[in-house]
Amino acid sequence: MIGVNEAEEISSKQKQISISEFFEKNKHFLGFDTLPRAIITAVKESVDNSLDACEEARILPDIRVEIRRTKGDELELITQDNGPGIPRDAIENVFGKFLLGSRFHAIRQTRGQQGIGITGVVMYSQLTTGSKTHVVSKIRSDSSAVYVDLGVDTKKNKAIKSGEKRDIWIDEKSGEEVSHGLRIKTNMKAKYQRGKKSVFQYLRMTSIVNPHASISLTVFDKEGLIVEEGHWIRTSNKLPRVVEEIKPHPHGIQLGTLQRMLREATDRRMTSFLKHNFSGVSPRAAKEILEMAEVEESRTPKRIKSEEAKEMISAFKTVKLLKPPMDCLSPIEDLLIKKGLSKAIDSRFASTVTRNPSVSEGNPFQIEVGLVFGGDLTADGPIEILRFANRVPLMYQQGGCLLTKALEAVNWKSYGLEQPGGSGIPKGPAAVLVHLASTNVQFTSEAKEAVSYNEEVFDEIRKAMLEVGRGLKNHLKKSSQRQKAKEKFELVNIILPEISKKSSELLGREEPDLAPVITQIMNAVFLEEILSWDKERRLSMCSISIHNYTARARAYTILAKWPESMETSMEFNPRGGRKEARGLWAWRLDTLDPGTSTLLEFGISGLSKGDWNEADIFFRGNGEIIGATKMDESLLEEQRKAEALEAAVEEVRMKGAASIEIASTYDNANRDLQSREEDGMDGNNSDDSPNTDWFGMEGDEQ
Amino acid sequence: MSASPRKSRKEVVESLHEVAAEMHNRMQRGEPPRMTLPVRSKSNISFDNKLGVFKYGKSKTVRDATKLGSARQLLRTLHITEFIEEMIDGGKSSTLREMYYISEGWGNGKFGSQNESNNLAEDLEIVTKCLREDFRLRPEEDGARIIGNITVEEKNRRGDWMRINCRDDVGDSGYGVPYNVEEEKLRLVDEDIDFIMAIETGGMFDRLIENGFDEESRCALIHLKGQPARSTRRIMRRISDEWKKPVVVFTDCDPWSFRIFASIAYGAIKTAHISEYLATKEATYLGITADDILAYDLPSDDLSKQDTSALEAELSDPRFNTGWWQEQIKLMQEMGKKAEQQSLAKYGLDFVTDTYLPEKLDAIGLGY
Repeated sequence: MIGVNEAEEISSKQKQISISEFFEKNKHFLGFDTLPRAIITAVKESVDNSLDACEEARILPDIRVEIRRTKGDELELITQDNGPGIPRDAIENVFGKFLLGSRFHAIRQTRGQQGIGITGVVMYSQLTTGSKTHVVSKIRSDSSAVYVDLGVDTKKNKAIKSGEKRDIWIDEKSGEEVSHGLRIKTNMKAKYQRGKKSVFQYLRMTSIVNPHASISLTVFDKEGLIVEEGHWIRTSNKLPRVVEEIKPHPHGIQLGTLQRMLREATDRRMTSFLKHNFSGVSPRAAKEILEMAEVEESRTPKRIKSEEAKEMISAFKTVKLLKPPMDCLSPIEDLLIKKGLSKAIDSRFASTVTRNPSVSEGNPFQIEVGLVFGGDLTADGPIEILRFANRVPLMYQQGGCLLTKALEAVNWKSYGLEQPGGSGIPKGPAAVLVHLASTNVQFTSEAKEAVSYNEEVFDEIRKAMLEVGRGLKNHLKKSSQRQKAKEKFELVNIILPEISKKSSELLGREEPDLAPVITQIMNAVFLEEILSWDKERRLSMCSISIHNYTARARAYTILAKWPESMETSMEFNPRGGRKEARGLWAWRLDTLDPGTSTLLEFGISGLSKGDWNEADIFFRGNGEIIGATKMDESLLEEQRKAEALEAAVEEVRMKGAASIEIASTYDNANRDLQSREEDGMDGNNSDDSPNTDWFGMEGDEQ
Repeated sequence: MSASPRKSRKEVVESLHEVAAEMHNRMQRGEPPRMTLPVRSKSNISFDNKLGVFKYGKSKTVRDATKLGSARQLLRTLHITEFIEEMIDGGKSSTLREMYYISEGWGNGKFGSQNESNNLAEDLEIVTKCLREDFRLRPEEDGARIIGNITVEEKNRRGDWMRINCRDDVGDSGYGVPYNVEEEKLRLVDEDIDFIMAIETGGMFDRLIENGFDEESRCALIHLKGQPARSTRRIMRRISDEWKKPVVVFTDCDPWSFRIFASIAYGAIKTAHISEYLATKEATYLGITADDILAYDLPSDDLSKQDTSALEAELSDPRFNTGWWQEQIKLMQEMGKKAEQQSLAKYGLDFVTDTYLPEKLDAIGLGY
């Protein structure tokens, strides 16, 4: 029998010998199987690296992509970023080795997880054109840039450097010296194509989920004429949050991994091994695991036998463990999704949701969904689906992807989109973005283009879809109400006075008093809100006008939802009023006599232009208001309770006491609320994001 | 004898003012302005025993300013009223299409489509009991062509009366019937015919002329040009009334041709308010009947989907509620076939004049 160490040695040798063969055989998985795809993959590897590097170095990325057709089916690709650059001595490693294993131990969300790395590009270039890849790298601390040509020694899995020199790097476009950055120029057999699966689409999608990046693309033909161009500007100066690396959670551990960890462990005792190498294992849980697996606490990890490791794995499943920490995830966050979507797609309405992080098999994950509607989007044909895993666009295998399947499982008809046959991809002028952020994205194949089935992830996506769906439904309902109100206003303000004037003229009579006629025609209270941006005061303004076109005096309390957060405040509010709940303000109005109207204005600071473009207005009082929804007091009560609970949890956390019990109580409270949604009722999503809609729900039932 | 109910200018203006007054009075009472109209659909036409034609029934519809669309209609109606008054004062007239374009300057009272302006003009006729001619509005559609030994006098542009014999003083296209065929414009002077035959298609009209059918059978031929214009129906009615001549109608055999006949004999749904001036209740449907397709073994086409639903609708149309029509429609439904007038050419160009028409006319006592 061959020992484990020997086997590993053999496999590593095999790997080295066959690496170029491996490439050749696995072109398909590596994304170089067809000429049009090769260029997309090359751009993707390069741009993903740039974004990751900038994020780590906390630099707002400026990325430039140039593609030039040189001859027949050969393209030259130049990518340039303003990232930290790569130190001279690391260049060989970055470009010459398959880095499949480099991030293996680190559990956190990265883009680079998904590709074979830039090495693949260097190798593909070499295999198809025999040429070297030219790299220019400048790090801030060096006085000059490194220029080097790279090839790959496929037998040794190593880069071959040549023509290395140092020089000042002057940027071609700006004519200024580059202080830090990376430029790669490479030639490859490839074909530039337009359309749904293109470099353009890849960069467009990338820019949506990276609103902090500025990306440009220029494509030239053989004659040097520009055939395609794209420029996606930065819409946010907020870099994605720095993600923490976390240790693996026992729920996601397989026997082989556990054995390897045991072997490599430096801990002396099993208790400390469990405590130090895993997340979610409290000292008490470590003891319980060992007890259940019948492993003594004092044993040395290295000596644990395979049978004992197996017992431990099953103990992992039984013993109650804490959730893994969630700060290893980097969601885009709903406001930024909105910005990203609106820069790429011209639409009338956007609804976005960032769900709270969740866990599946020990892996933290988080779902975000954005839906845009109307505007330039085409109304016939299926909606556009924009899939992302850890901020990387997924462009192939849409049908086989979990993200698509979860979308198809939603009954979109009830949210105002056409869905022939009641399931499948809905039709209409809409686009849906789905982002799965996870420390371990499971794909259906090595091609890493379709996310494989996972019940928890599926469920979370569905819930997120329902949320944005409700947003859409509210929006559509509002639009139609608004349309009706607009028509009525046109009727009484324009047409009716003309009828009066014309008939009086014809008959030579006095014009009648129209006030009672208008009351008769309208016979309702109308509310109209206008959101605008006050440039001078930098306030998001909301002005609400209310007209009483009934024969009776009316008294109302008007409530408005506003994006309350740490950064925002109710800066301008001459009417006073009071806070009803988080993100909900109320104003008591004076009695509104028949035929009169009133104006209610407030302004919010802390937002930028375009951040707030849909308000929800509610009312308390008798009868109906066209343009506002009657406040559902029971839902409000529920939100207040959830908030009180949350505040209590926060207080305990501040005190640093054992927060576990309370936290789990809070989680349960949350879950209860969420399960209401599943029962088809309108539940509370205790998400504190400003864009989740649940107040308006009762309107749906009417 | 003329059935024309002509009103004086003053009466026309007064009737129009009543419409405006209904709106104004309502507003003075604090109510939305409105206009009351008969329902203009087949469900609201019924046979008027006294007049012998189909007229609108009692169902009324209210067009009031509680919806934007209706309010606009009311405003447009007022604009039309003003426009008509101006034309009456200035001694002008205009086509319906001209009025449609003139409405461009009416701001919010502008028409959405020509169809809308036509309908509103008809609405006004109905509520004021005036004729379109009283409003100085004329249609685009051309009137019929007539060939036969009848003599008329038409007042020309110079205001002179011109005497025209519709056989000897006209070319091959016949006498063109003007849009206004009322007494002030057209007089029926003399005739030497036994009956009038109205023909649906131009092809058949020309065939009969080429074959000398009008002289041989002593009739006047009228080309209907599809669904006949008001003036076509009105002149047939006048010939029938003033000269007491039978009218026979010769069309294709399909549901649309049946409707042509119905509008001649019983009145059209759209113009049921003036059926008594337009409809010729004495008109007889000569052919082609569903029976003829079988009897003469005529080449036929399958009924289209639209044909089938049109036939179905005719079964419940009060104008076709006679044993003979019900039978014809049902027979056609059974066969699933329709036939054109010109299918008679199967037996040669002269078959229609030598055999078919003589046989059919004989059967209704008009043999020659």
